Amino acid sequence: MISIANLRKVYEDNGYEALKSIDLNIKEGDLVCLLGPSGCGKTTILNLLAGLLDPTSGDIKFDNVSVVNKHPKDRNIGLVFQNYALYPHMTVMENVMFPLTVGNKKTKKSKAKEIAQKYMKITNITELADKKPGNMSGGQQQRVAITRALVQNPKVLLLDEPLSNLDARLRLKIREEIRRLVKEIGITTIFVTHDQEEALSISDKIVIMDQGIVQQYDIPQNLYLEPANLFVAKFMGNPIINIFEMKKEEDYLKGSDFSIKLDKLDKTRVKDDFNKSKYIVGIRPEYFKLTTPSLFNAEIETVELIGKDRIVNFTINGEHSKAITDINDKVKENEIVGFDIEYDKIYIFEEDGRRVY
Amino acid sequence: MEENSFVKDMTKQEPSKPKRWQNYSAENSPQAWLYLLPALIIIGVFNVFPLIRTFIMSMQTGKTLNSMHFGGFKNFEIILRDPKFHIAIFNTVTYAIVVVPVGLIISMLIATTIYTKIKNKTVFETIFFIPYLTSVIAIGIVFRYLFNGDYGFINYFLSWFGIGPINFLDDPNMSITTLIIFGIWSGLAFNIIILLSGLRNINENYYKVADMFGATKMEQFKRITLPQMIPIITFLSMVNFINAFKVYAQVYSLFGGKAGIANSATTGVFYIFNKFYVDFKYGQGMAAAVILFLLILTFTFIQNFVLKRISR
Repeated sequence: MISIANLRKVYEDNGYEALKSIDLNIKEGDLVCLLGPSGCGKTTILNLLAGLLDPTSGDIKFDNVSVVNKHPKDRNIGLVFQNYALYPHMTVMENVMFPLTVGNKKTKKSKAKEIAQKYMKITNITELADKKPGNMSGGQQQRVAITRALVQNPKVLLLDEPLSNLDARLRLKIREEIRRLVKEIGITTIFVTHDQEEALSISDKIVIMDQGIVQQYDIPQNLYLEPANLFVAKFMGNPIINIFEMKKEEDYLKGSDFSIKLDKLDKTRVKDDFNKSKYIVGIRPEYFKLTTPSLFNAEIETVELIGKDRIVNFTINGEHSKAITDINDKVKENEIVGFDIEYDKIYIFEEDGRRVY
Repeated sequence: MEENSFVKDMTKQEPSKPKRWQNYSAENSPQAWLYLLPALIIIGVFNVFPLIRTFIMSMQTGKTLNSMHFGGFKNFEIILRDPKFHIAIFNTVTYAIVVVPVGLIISMLIATTIYTKIKNKTVFETIFFIPYLTSVIAIGIVFRYLFNGDYGFINYFLSWFGIGPINFLDDPNMSITTLIIFGIWSGLAFNIIILLSGLRNINENYYKVADMFGATKMEQFKRITLPQMIPIITFLSMVNFINAFKVYAQVYSLFGGKAGIANSATTGVFYIFNKFYVDFKYGQGMAAAVILFLLILTFTFIQNFVLKRISR
């Protein structure tokens, strides 16, 4: 459906290279999320797809036809801005009808109204028809903006941080609603966010980006379970993964407090030989186990209770670390506890971030 | 010790009344009047008093300012029957009705062009604003040269198209037209600056969205820009109307201190000025001023009403 090849974007006014080289293929009907920290280039991709920016080089194809030189109106897309950009002087009905009453997509007023009403029914905003945007809640405005983007029956829907202007509770509701809606219509949807939870919960696939490069393009669970590199491992997950720098000495990865014996690793997961002198080991907080005999002992510094989990903080190998334990494990502050790790669930990276285990 | 009033009500004893000037109240602080006093005095002396004095004088007759006495509505009768006054009002109304809408439309055109098409906006803004900083009298004198029937640039320009020469300044039938042209021009600067600031306040995304839906530039102007600009256009047309009704300096400078050839460009304020300082009919001058004041008031109300209807 959408294929992006070698896409590069350098902003002319300040020479900032927002996108280095992007290759992506998006299937028809998929709900894809562009995820990454601010400045990673996700909004740039969206604007390039929409035709609000020109690419420096590379190509974007919709259904095998290049759209790079096409005007936004000829790309068959619907775009929803972060702040919705609803016309404040028009009622909801007029806003939704707007795309059907302008340009060469102009239809008869009665017909336009009919189409508008059809879509307003799908998005549940029929009763708002006569209201003006200024008198509506953020969630309602969001729905109106999406409805307006849909009435021209585009093939692609682009959403720029669609939930960032909503309060936390509404966010949960609206994100489910967006998923239901786009799946019901079957439209290919791309949306931008910096919130991983949001991305994980509604996307079919996630593009995780950093520094103008796609770090990983995968289904949500793989980003968490099989991160392609150190950046993805660090970005996904909360609390953040524990990272330890270790030296390779013979059959061990050595740290000041604990070491990892290479024999204990799951052979099927090893992607490359361990022939460098330094490695970075990533261990998610949930894969530290409280056991005896233990790999290492640590003094618990603080304990946080989060729902059914207990997060314990300690310092090991010179790094401030966190482990998630069950609420029933009665760990107290200042207690010395023995930990082990689940060898088949840890990650090992080379210094440049490439994953080897 | 001060107790709060609630407690006092409960106990029903009223010792010494609370000193209003010392008690703190979040919503009521009579001390504020003290701070307002200087401003109120100035407004009273220089704004309110002259207004009242105008109304009083319009009812008085007398040869000198010191020997005025009550004369009822006599002044108004004289003024309303004076054919010169009729011409003055007719000229003023014509001037206002043409200058305000035409001026606004031209300003809007220039403002949108500057805003959308031109890169160095600030340079053009400055160029258009400079006339506003210059005195109308000075510009009027320059325009006298431009309008000149023999060597004026405007006639020279028109001759390229085979028009003219037109006697802008010395033909009684042309005086009002000339005045209108000058009036439109001298109002542009202010209008353009205000309109530009309004255009800048319109969310850019409105246009991006419209573009994406395939709306043409004309449609975007009609459906987005214009409705968004209604409050500013309302404000400008009101101010412009009021100023147009008070037109004086333009006439004075354009026709060298006279009201045009054979007084053909007499306006309301010019008439008042002449009554006062040429004819020394103070009462009648004031009566004319009151009539003009009421006229402006009525027009403003009507206009406000109409524009509110349109914007709905």
